[in-house]
Amino acid sequence: MLKQGKANRLAHDLTHRGVTAWLLSAALFAFYLALYFTEGFTGVARALGLPDKWTLYGLLYTLAILAGGVHVLRKYRHNRYQVVRTAVVMFVQVTLAFAVPQILKFFHQPEYYFSYLWPLKLEDLTPGIVFQLPLPYILYSFLAALLLAPALAALFGKRWYCSWVCGCGGLANTAGDPLRHLTSKSSAAWKFEKVAIHTVLAVCVTLTALLFVTWGLGSRHPRLSAFTYHFQSLYGLVVVAMLSGVIGVGLYPIGGTRVWCRNFCPMAALLGLVQKIGRYRITVKQNMCISCGLCSKYCEMGIDVRAYAQANTSFTRASCVGCGLCAEVCPRGVLRLENTATKAPQEFVLVRISGVR
Amino acid sequence: MRFLIIGNGVAGATAALTLRRREPDAAITLVGGESDFFFSRTALMYVYMDRLSRRDLEPYERQAWDRQAIRRVRGRVVDLDAANRTVRLASGDTLSYDRLLLATGSLPNRIPWPGLEAAREGVAHFVTLQDLAECERLTPSTREAVVVGGGLIGVELAECLVFHGKRVTFLVREPWYWPVALGGPESAMISQHLRRRGVDVRLEEEVAEVLTEPGGRVGGIRSNAGREYPCQMLGVTIGVHPAVEWLVGVTTPPACGRGILVRPDFATSLPGVWAAGDCAEIQLPGEVPLVEQIWYSARRQGELAARAMLGDPIEYRPPIFCNSAKFFEIEYTTVGMVMQAPADAEEFYCPVPGREASIRLVAYRGALIGCNLLGARWNHALFERWIAERRPLDYVVGHLGEAQFDVEFGRLDLSCIREAFRQHAQTRQSQPAGA
Repeated sequence: MLKQGKANRLAHDLTHRGVTAWLLSAALFAFYLALYFTEGFTGVARALGLPDKWTLYGLLYTLAILAGGVHVLRKYRHNRYQVVRTAVVMFVQVTLAFAVPQILKFFHQPEYYFSYLWPLKLEDLTPGIVFQLPLPYILYSFLAALLLAPALAALFGKRWYCSWVCGCGGLANTAGDPLRHLTSKSSAAWKFEKVAIHTVLAVCVTLTALLFVTWGLGSRHPRLSAFTYHFQSLYGLVVVAMLSGVIGVGLYPIGGTRVWCRNFCPMAALLGLVQKIGRYRITVKQNMCISCGLCSKYCEMGIDVRAYAQANTSFTRASCVGCGLCAEVCPRGVLRLENTATKAPQEFVLVRISGVR
Repeated sequence: MRFLIIGNGVAGATAALTLRRREPDAAITLVGGESDFFFSRTALMYVYMDRLSRRDLEPYERQAWDRQAIRRVRGRVVDLDAANRTVRLASGDTLSYDRLLLATGSLPNRIPWPGLEAAREGVAHFVTLQDLAECERLTPSTREAVVVGGGLIGVELAECLVFHGKRVTFLVREPWYWPVALGGPESAMISQHLRRRGVDVRLEEEVAEVLTEPGGRVGGIRSNAGREYPCQMLGVTIGVHPAVEWLVGVTTPPACGRGILVRPDFATSLPGVWAAGDCAEIQLPGEVPLVEQIWYSARRQGELAARAMLGDPIEYRPPIFCNSAKFFEIEYTTVGMVMQAPADAEEFYCPVPGREASIRLVAYRGALIGCNLLGARWNHALFERWIAERRPLDYVVGHLGEAQFDVEFGRLDLSCIREAFRQHAQTRQSQPAGA
């Protein structure tokens, strides 16, 4: 039953797929379509003294994360993991994802975003682009994507990126927090997720390989160059513009905050595969779950956490971004995120005092 | 083989799933009078507070029941004929079985206070889905509410009503809140927490008379202290009792005491009929009959009763007691014997400075027998192990770090507990033995 009062009813309507939610979704779609496919915002940006529409977008995005972040910091102030994680994600957004590239530009350096890596940022391993950069940037692009990111994911889970650093996760976990419960928990949605996200990863890896082959062969194969160019443009249109932008954020009020991260992001797919064989896990306290379902409800990745908790099974799911909200909302403290090398002692408690003599 | 289970609460549903795991081809029917699908009763409060929908309470996807080939029947059972192995529903339909499990749960207690009968509207319990619907119906027309009963459901209902902006008075009959489980200082911490959240906690007060408005709606209560508390909603949360009334007058009633009497293998006095969960009263040899009425015990009993129905040799022994709760923001875990400990048991109680948290360890003859843990997260399984291994308190305090289950970066600082224990041990040593 929703809380009394007009403001509460409006909030409920917005967060429970009511009319307001659909209106907001439509507005977000319109905003992203206008941003990607028109120059309407260029004038606005200039009027505000900003160089282009993307800087304006970056500013708006950063403000959304900061405003949402303040709300989240207040809401979960009793939970140190949430406080630290949210503070870091806000800090990364303000610095690496917004201020640092502008400062670099000011000092006549490339406008480089250190917080976005291949395969989320295809340009980082697009030879025609990355090899134009000074050597330190080239090294960072390759090492961060191919060594640092997987290594950290193996040690700490993909959360180090998806819910501590990445701007997509940053928006989801701050401004998107009131909408996090909308992600579908059905097993059908899980099946779709597995097919979709690994398809995008495969396409992305294929495209990257093709970009290297085309670059290596130079201008000797004009037909291959043309094909690669069209492939790259199509990927930019479908994956980058439509799936990560228009649909990813446009569907926030309807499908939850992680539509892009869960179903399409190639970075999430890759780090998820590493996570499955890494240390990260969600430990479940034995025989303590009351099956209330808050963990599943508030999982933004659509994981039916309760299914594991009530079965007393500690688990690692490729899609889990380690936001820690399942542990936060659990009224019995059943869940804990862990990445220690040795498993917690409770998993060695094999001889549980049984109910049978 | 046809299995019939009456009651689709956690005991019944767990039994059905256990039977299916073992018997892929048996016919399994689950009869429920309250809901079409098994739901988590412990989470009713989160629906009332708009954090979950009713559908979210269902622990399994709906199609799972069809996948498991567990037939669900919605209806109330009104007759049981163990001679012909049939039960009759209120709709008139008859279901036959080879083996029957009674898992009908419990019902809220009521006290016939003077004036209660005149109150046709405004008295609410908080146990069933129907109670929830009634609470929701009453909420908009309620400004003030009185919740009676110093247990767990009372605090849950109070939290919901505070969420909805009601002025809540919480009447506790005992000298402090929940004395069967909490010590005085722990209870004082909870009461203070409740008061800070806007609940008017009244200790050592109970209802003397229910006052009614002319239309039949509750208007308030008068307490035994002579005070009047106006309210449009009276939450009665004074415990539950096994749901056995329906068995009075059936063709073949099983033997009942407080609940349906069962042997340690959950068999009732009727052939082919078992009972488990809140409704069962287990007769353990040489011990006081046992009625367990918490979520965990119902799930445990449901699974074991199903195994007994399949012929496994089951002899129920309640494991080391364990329960959990949450008082607004304060999480609570208890293991073993705490307030029921022998009078000469050793007690170590330590409130954590600067945090609404505390730890109480109880030892008897040098070994840990129970603990009350408030305001921080602990792995109860380790405490169970330490109790089973008869660990002394200094061992437990030395190993507390292993049992911590707080979120990353949020671990409780144990140094104050260790220091408090050092002083506790010194004080005990300086006392003559037996003091």
